[in-house]
Amino acid sequence: MQEDSPNHPELSILLASCAHDMKNSMNLLNITLENLLSSASVSNTPAYQKMVGMLSETKRLHDNLFQLLALYKEIGSPHFPFDPEAHAIVEFVEEVIARNHILLDAKGIGFDTDYPADLVWCFDDDLVVGLIGHAVNNALHYTRDKVRLAVEQVGEFLEIRVEDNGSGYSREILDAQAAVKAGVDFSNGSTGLGLYFSNEVAKMHKHRGRCGSVNLSNGGVMGGGCFVLRLP
Amino acid sequence: MTDNRDWVGKHYLVIDDFPGMRMVMCDMLRSLGVKHADQAGNGAEASAMLAKTKYDVVLCDFDLGFGRSGQQVLEEARLLDLVGPSCIWLMVSADRSAESIMGAAEFQPDAYLCKPITENLLLTRLNHVWSKKQVFQEIDAAFSAKDYIKAAKLCDEKIATCKLHALDLLRMKASLLMKSADYAAAQKVYEQILADREYGWAKTGLARIHLHRGDYQAAKLMLQEVLAENANYLDAYDHLALTLEKLGEFAEAEKVLGSAVKLSPNSVLRQLNLGTIALRLGDLSMAEKAFHKCIDVGKNSIRKTPDAYFGLARVCGQKEHVNQALEVLADVQAAFVGEDVSLRAKITEGLVYHEAGDFSKARKTSEEAARMLEAAASKPNIEASLETARLFFAVGVKNTPINLLRDLVRNNHDSEALAIEVQKIFDQAHLGDIGSQLVASSRKEAEELMNHGVLLWKGGKPDEALAWMRNAKAALPSNVRVLFNCAHIMIAKMQEEGFDSALAGEAREILLKADQLSPNHKRFAELMELLQGCRPSDQTQAA
Repeated sequence: MQEDSPNHPELSILLASCAHDMKNSMNLLNITLENLLSSASVSNTPAYQKMVGMLSETKRLHDNLFQLLALYKEIGSPHFPFDPEAHAIVEFVEEVIARNHILLDAKGIGFDTDYPADLVWCFDDDLVVGLIGHAVNNALHYTRDKVRLAVEQVGEFLEIRVEDNGSGYSREILDAQAAVKAGVDFSNGSTGLGLYFSNEVAKMHKHRGRCGSVNLSNGGVMGGGCFVLRLP
Repeated sequence: MTDNRDWVGKHYLVIDDFPGMRMVMCDMLRSLGVKHADQAGNGAEASAMLAKTKYDVVLCDFDLGFGRSGQQVLEEARLLDLVGPSCIWLMVSADRSAESIMGAAEFQPDAYLCKPITENLLLTRLNHVWSKKQVFQEIDAAFSAKDYIKAAKLCDEKIATCKLHALDLLRMKASLLMKSADYAAAQKVYEQILADREYGWAKTGLARIHLHRGDYQAAKLMLQEVLAENANYLDAYDHLALTLEKLGEFAEAEKVLGSAVKLSPNSVLRQLNLGTIALRLGDLSMAEKAFHKCIDVGKNSIRKTPDAYFGLARVCGQKEHVNQALEVLADVQAAFVGEDVSLRAKITEGLVYHEAGDFSKARKTSEEAARMLEAAASKPNIEASLETARLFFAVGVKNTPINLLRDLVRNNHDSEALAIEVQKIFDQAHLGDIGSQLVASSRKEAEELMNHGVLLWKGGKPDEALAWMRNAKAALPSNVRVLFNCAHIMIAKMQEEGFDSALAGEAREILLKADQLSPNHKRFAELMELLQGCRPSDQTQAA
């Protein structure tokens, strides 16, 4: 975050240093909670359940901060630090697991993965791992007992699906998609920001005149909500 | 290759200015079973520890508060060989930096790790980096030994069998070809990559090739396109500025560098370039700012340079703040040791007086400089020689600068750019005719000296040829072509008569000197490959 905002260069530096500080704090919170959860000998105590709740909240905090900063840095414009590189899908999936498995395990939610072993694709891994992590976090709230991450090449696109076996997305959220994509309106609450951010990240990925997209629907192999990210 | 994936037994260094973070990271390592984890709280501490111990894994925060940044610590570690190619360097960052975009910085960590970091994430990342290092192991070794041609060939071999790292291998191959100055082959690789996807760095690679070939307009267009897509790609800014300079569009170049330093202010070289261009344009306030910043950043960087001080002194001189200029010149001699620095300080002093209108002091200073020149053990470098000549002509001295310039041209008889620069100096001193005569005859002399050695070799007199070339090298120690020919004759002798370790050592020294004087020269890559080829197979030379 080194560009000066047009009127307040000091504000820019202040914000950057504040964000840095917040991230450090959150990092500590996150690591401490994850350690406590993974080293707990019993998992059905009230204290344990409360810690699971806390970890869930710190993850939401992190996602919100991440997304807000992206907006501040003008995601969607050439000024945003976008860095698409070739990544092995197997490594991408491992990273999503690494970032989310403790909460999944603590909540007793199963995590299935399905992807081709030697697939390589070009994308910004920081952004997409963040985006998919956010989708996984959401799925955790709605699912009954399982979340599935599937990656495959469909035609000229890479499709990354996060599916759950809950009761699916509500009508309001499904309807809000079109509005968010048009950039017109934001729904209340964090879903609005998350969906907007996901769309911006998807759109930034361009190739041969096509760009990425995000789609929410219900159904999929598990009958619950489907979050689908397509990247060209 | 033994399976080195035993993370427990390795030596780790954690570098972070936040004590809480250091504790957490060390705890994490301990719970992974790690026994040797050291910590450093700032860049200076880290560098000291890196000098003492060969770490296997370094976890370095990008932002270290005051003093050296993580990037500067990495740079120093690589330049001073404090970490070898098998060391894993993970740069931990809260946020992406301009230096990380498309791998812009000259020295890259093995991977970036975004906070929050957890045990599993760390392990996962270490394993991924290790797999990649396995693929690149032989390539990295050839690169360290500066055998770029061999390294490029190895890339080709690996690409066939390794789909997961194909793009990384292609990118490495292209940059090795660039280093060997094989632009036609590098172009093919970049075009192959671009046919698949429009990577900004590949496009920039093509632009650099245009630049080398003198197609400045093509380079300019391409780089502007890259920046329109991605306004954070530092490398594109740097090359665009260079291209604009070649086109004579100095004001534009200044703007471009200005944007780049906004993104990444802590680069010694970039700030120096900005200051130099600003000074040339007469933009004294920008020049002053850039030189000051260059000096500031230099205090924490192994790349620090006296040039910024000289530039700053000239700025002061042009503002007629002579005393300030003298202070700066005193500072540079305190900060840097060496004959070149003292001489350049003296010359700059003279130029400052001259530009401030104090002609008698300028004359006096040039006399002091002349005495320094006579007493010097070695010849001054190109920049120092040119500046010295300028001053002497400016104060009305003739013979010293003429001799200096003659020697300079003889030592660089191949360089068209230098010939032009030298001619300009003569023209400015109203000695244009003498200048062009001198340049022509000096170049001819050097050419003949060199050719005689080649003739002797071709005439079947290898020992005489070698002796002649050794003399030529003594007479023209900075002449890159002479150095290459000398080394070539040594190598050819070994190819015929067998390996001789003393001669090989001498040849290697000569080649390294030539590489220092003229980096990325095609003959360097070729001759290094031939030299390695002379060695018996059980002896490979490490860097």
